[in-house]
Amino acid sequence: MGPMSRRQLLGGMGLAGAATALGGTVGGAGPFAAAVAAADSGTASGAGANRTYPFYGEHQAGIVTPAQDRLAFASMNVLDGASRGDLRDLLTDWTSAAERMTRGRLVGDDSDLDDPPLDTGEAIGSPAGGLTVTIGYGPSLFDGRFGLGSKKPALLADLPPLPNENLDPDYVGGDLCIQACSDDPLVAFHAVRNLARLGLGVVDYNWMELGFGKTSSTSSAQATPRNLLGFKDGTRNIKSQQTGLLDDYVWVGDETDQAWMRGGSYLIARRIQIFIENWDRDDLGDQQNVIGRVKVSGAPLTGGGEFTAPNFTKKNGLGQPVIPAGAHIRLASHEENGGTRILRRGYSFTDGIDPVRGTLLGGLFFIAFVKRPEQFVSLQQKLGTSDALNEYIQHIGSGIFAVPPGIRRGQHWGDALFA
Amino acid sequence: MTALLAGVAVVVPALGAPAGADVRTTTVNITLTPRTCAPKPAKVQAGQIQFNIKNKNAGAVSEAELRTSDLSHILGEQENLTPGLSGGFALVVQPGRYVINCPGAAQQHAAFTVTGKSKAAGWKTNSSLAGAVSGYATYVDQQVADLVASSQALCAAIDAGNQARAEALYPQTRVYYERIEPVAEVWGTLDTSIDGRIDNPVTNPADLEGFHKIEELLWADDTLDGASPYCGQLVQHERQLGQLVSTASYDPVTMASGATDLINEAATSKITGEEERYSNTDLIVFQANVDGATEVVDLLKPYLQRTSPSVVAQITQRDQAVEHALAQYRATPGYDDTGYVEYSQVLDRQRKALSAQVQAFAEALSKMSGRVA
Repeated sequence: MGPMSRRQLLGGMGLAGAATALGGTVGGAGPFAAAVAAADSGTASGAGANRTYPFYGEHQAGIVTPAQDRLAFASMNVLDGASRGDLRDLLTDWTSAAERMTRGRLVGDDSDLDDPPLDTGEAIGSPAGGLTVTIGYGPSLFDGRFGLGSKKPALLADLPPLPNENLDPDYVGGDLCIQACSDDPLVAFHAVRNLARLGLGVVDYNWMELGFGKTSSTSSAQATPRNLLGFKDGTRNIKSQQTGLLDDYVWVGDETDQAWMRGGSYLIARRIQIFIENWDRDDLGDQQNVIGRVKVSGAPLTGGGEFTAPNFTKKNGLGQPVIPAGAHIRLASHEENGGTRILRRGYSFTDGIDPVRGTLLGGLFFIAFVKRPEQFVSLQQKLGTSDALNEYIQHIGSGIFAVPPGIRRGQHWGDALFA
Repeated sequence: MTALLAGVAVVVPALGAPAGADVRTTTVNITLTPRTCAPKPAKVQAGQIQFNIKNKNAGAVSEAELRTSDLSHILGEQENLTPGLSGGFALVVQPGRYVINCPGAAQQHAAFTVTGKSKAAGWKTNSSLAGAVSGYATYVDQQVADLVASSQALCAAIDAGNQARAEALYPQTRVYYERIEPVAEVWGTLDTSIDGRIDNPVTNPADLEGFHKIEELLWADDTLDGASPYCGQLVQHERQLGQLVSTASYDPVTMASGATDLINEAATSKITGEEERYSNTDLIVFQANVDGATEVVDLLKPYLQRTSPSVVAQITQRDQAVEHALAQYRATPGYDDTGYVEYSQVLDRQRKALSAQVQAFAEALSKMSGRVA
């Protein structure tokens, strides 16, 4: 049995809305009950588990889309011997499959009993849960293997060494990335698994991470979730409603040297281990000083509610800043970084047990979307040196990817890149 | 880590001297039953209070705590009282409303009220805690003085071209720093100059200096060439540290959380071997972290023994477990005269077993800070 061909995939595609059966035996609406594709409006269709987001649009979905609960993220490398044409065909296949899955459909509906099923099947019956699939290209994709050297954006380069990182070489870089987000972990995993399956013979996994709980809200309509530190995270994140800030700090514009990147963004992924056992035995007062917020309410230490702006100049009776000099929210704030902001989309993760320490190997799988990678680099140089939180965290994985803009119906990922 | 010098100690108004000569002692009896842990009397005058606690017949209840009325702070407690056992704790309690808390009883909370005028409180007026703090200042000063002296001997060996002697003195010198590391870390750039290592936080190899640059030269590059100027700078930085700590002030809470931080440090970066990655002399500095924490425990023990004897008992037991686990790797004279085997000889599963004991010790230590506030 060889990998599924592009022809098989496209041949298996039906029209939207029709509930179809796998192998002619599964009936009912399954995942497709509410899968009426929305217009290219950027707004959701359906509600709750049946929610879907439009695949097509000016920007790829999964960036400012209200953060779903779960994440599956894969970094992939193109295999030796794969050609430019193989890569282009794969991106076309991925486009078709991702578009279907984000509507709550399977990769392919019809299977012959004598063939392996077109779809791996674990998400049959599971609504889309707001699935988005977002892809990006790593710096190494432009190294000349595929004739893409002249298409490399000037700003796309491996991140420089950053303080307080101890990168596991098994969790670094990649030629391509796939970010799948859904409220259903199985649906997110299913998306990555099926794209990887379509890529057999062309790409293989470099590394993969599953995020079990969102840690950032990307919409003002969402409540702020908590990370494994137990604190609300992303209270001051850029929100999808702040379009001016998105243009200034997230979306690549006309300033880029590569026309194909306009409307895209740069994705920076950081696998951050949290030494949660150490953190858990820190006294509450210190935990709050490390972050700069009250743990339960999320309010800044200078008072008010969660969304009250922190007062970084306020002093206590001893003349010291109420939000300490090394507090995380101070050092990460746009006020103390020349106005710079980033769009965060992080997830809590665990990969079992740290084999030597015997403690939990988990933390924050941090994703940032930025207009210029330098936004993240300068921020992390500051945080990695001075953040009081450094005592409890270490960056152990890293990747940077150029995320192309969205596409219109009839276009495919890679069309602009290979034009 | 709680900033050691920032003067931001959480002030709990209730807790004061366990035994002041001018303070009258009142006895309060608490009997643990399946139903309740009501104190008798439930209202007393401010001052030294001896809480006598007896578990009569409460199988599901084994402890009693004195807490602030909002339940946010434990002021004193007795744990591990199974039916038939007695225990207690003593402390000065200021006027106010409190709660006796006995998890597992049908009525878990019982009101306790202290009336009258407030008594002198705060650790500065408490001879046990004030003694602990001044004792710790003396300890830190001594460690830094020894650090400088030992580093000078290390520099002399380097200048004499005696690499074997330098390799033996390097881990011995590290010990003095690792005993007091949470104090030294307060001065971030000085800590980086003395103890910074590649990745944490030094990103450019050309910027590496201090102990770990010397370590890299001696072990990874197997040479004394170039080590002398680094050693001279190290001594200078240590002298700066000595001047800073000589004027530093401490308090019981930050001492206590510093002890936890030392063991966190051992659990996080010593266990993996990343701290002494070139020399593999991790075990002796591991021991130094434990010693630094144990020093704090010993200093706070006279106070904690009265207010929280079960906390002291657990710390003592887990400290012994760590010492026992470390003892398996002792050797004479040991790798580079460290008294221990080379850390690369300790297998991952052995490191994991050691880590479990260290984690448990740190967890026990973390209960001190709230009880000396």
